[in-house]
Amino acid sequence: MNKRKPHTLMNKAEPYLWILPSIILMSIFIIIPIGFVFRMAFSDVSKAGLIKGFAGFDNFTKVLKSAKFGLVLKNTVIWTILVVVLSTVLGFILALLLNNKFKGRKIARAIVVFPWATTLVIQASVWKFIIDVDYGALNTLLKTLGIISSNVNWTPTPEAFFAWEIACGIFVTIPFVCFTALSGLQSIDSSYYEAATVDGAGYFQQLFNITLPLVKPSLTVATVLNIIYVFNSFPIVWTITKGDPASRTDTLVTYLYKLAFYNGKQGEAAAVSVIGFLILLVCASVYMVSTLKKGDE
Amino acid sequence: MKDNITVNWTKLLARIMLYFVVALICVTILYPYFVMVCTALKSRSEIFSINGTVFPIDVLWSNFADIWSKAPMAQYMVNSIIIAGGSTAIAMICGIPAAYALARMKFRGQTAFLGFIIVSQMFAPVVLLIGIYKVMQVMGLTNSLLGLIFINAAFNQAFTIWLLRGTFMSISAEMEQAATIDGCNRIQAMFKVLLPVAAPGIVTTLIFIFINAWNEYTVALCLISTDTIKPLTVGINIFNGYNIIEWQYLFAASIFAIIPVVILFMSIEKNLTSGLTAGGVKG
Repeated sequence: MNKRKPHTLMNKAEPYLWILPSIILMSIFIIIPIGFVFRMAFSDVSKAGLIKGFAGFDNFTKVLKSAKFGLVLKNTVIWTILVVVLSTVLGFILALLLNNKFKGRKIARAIVVFPWATTLVIQASVWKFIIDVDYGALNTLLKTLGIISSNVNWTPTPEAFFAWEIACGIFVTIPFVCFTALSGLQSIDSSYYEAATVDGAGYFQQLFNITLPLVKPSLTVATVLNIIYVFNSFPIVWTITKGDPASRTDTLVTYLYKLAFYNGKQGEAAAVSVIGFLILLVCASVYMVSTLKKGDE
Repeated sequence: MKDNITVNWTKLLARIMLYFVVALICVTILYPYFVMVCTALKSRSEIFSINGTVFPIDVLWSNFADIWSKAPMAQYMVNSIIIAGGSTAIAMICGIPAAYALARMKFRGQTAFLGFIIVSQMFAPVVLLIGIYKVMQVMGLTNSLLGLIFINAAFNQAFTIWLLRGTFMSISAEMEQAATIDGCNRIQAMFKVLLPVAAPGIVTTLIFIFINAWNEYTVALCLISTDTIKPLTVGINIFNGYNIIEWQYLFAASIFAIIPVVILFMSIEKNLTSGLTAGGVKG
């Protein structure tokens, strides 16, 4: 690569050479799959996954007509909203606590890392064991402590199972929110608080007038990223219930996995993918616009 | 005088509350791990006994040894290391130059590329699984470690570029310019001047991708069917059968899968969070 000026064409092309490997990698393994998903969504696909011809919106009508899809979509919305909102609130409160100076703060921080670092499938397995009705750890613990005398069925209905899955989702999402909020909190200049204290502002006044506005940018980033992650989260539901019975605990991703790889309905699964893709694209665009705007300010 | 005493009392009470709540949260967070360790040390009959136990009565350390012969655990571990290591290497080889270009050069389409990176970060492989499977079929990479390596590298590309671009931008370009005047070309300047200074950021990124790839489950579950090339996250489910779940082995194996990652994660947690939010906020 030459460094002298006369090679203007080379100079113009140079940045593109630097980003080329990255573009090739993402094109083959992200862009082309997106293309395939769209093509299959509008095709008649055999059980073996062979494309037999153009099918228009057939796959979409089949998906939208099935009674399960509405349920799955409802579950996905409930799952995403509850996990994101509750983990954001709880994670932020935890960050406020950990932002105080106290003995053992380092240990507490190290402990909060655990659920973030642990792979979801293992977390979900443990929770499945904890809430089991016959030999679960929660029943054993409560019996040993004398709080209950006989086993409690923690999951009498599919909805109860789903609630536990949501709890597990919240549990594993809190650390990410907590640490992003914490890094935001620690960048706040303490002079703001000193000034507010002099002016006689109480704790909650300071919280709502100083802390929240200043942490908002990092919380926004964390929230948008979380919406995407939680929406796409597969292992928790898959490990605990596999979406059963009859899709009552399915979210979009477990539903499409079963359609594609268990029921051989790849065309319909692709249609579900496209629907999910479009929902995410809306979220992503909102995120991108707000992020790039901030850069211009 | 009286006021001071009340203030001190409220302060003390707040302290006690703080300790209490933090302790409660820590105990809750550690509870699943506590269950995991205790169960991993129990016998099968103790786990399924009617009057369950919290702590193991007979501590069976042998469970931790047995898993290596009951399942190809060593092989799973090697596979996980190959997948995570390979994806990290490819993600860095492709990501460093791209991040460098974004941080140090001006070119047409820069904003579009940046936008594309942000958007691509939004698509977890699971939504595209059918498409990924098709691409892998065409390339003959289904059921292969190499396929998983590429997928993990590609889906971590956004984070890699995002974190590294932030790191590079926080380092002044003056030193590199000086090196260029001394006769270095851009590549030499990057390797000799920028990368050593950016080392902490690079290590953080590296470890983060490694952990992501190590913990990946869904794509591996879908693409890999041969037992001997499964990574740990999928492989350990050999103990999680449809009819019999060998909890003690499942959790013993899980502990081996968790420990390296938790230690790595603790080492980068501080740099990582500031990097992630800084990248996001600065845009």
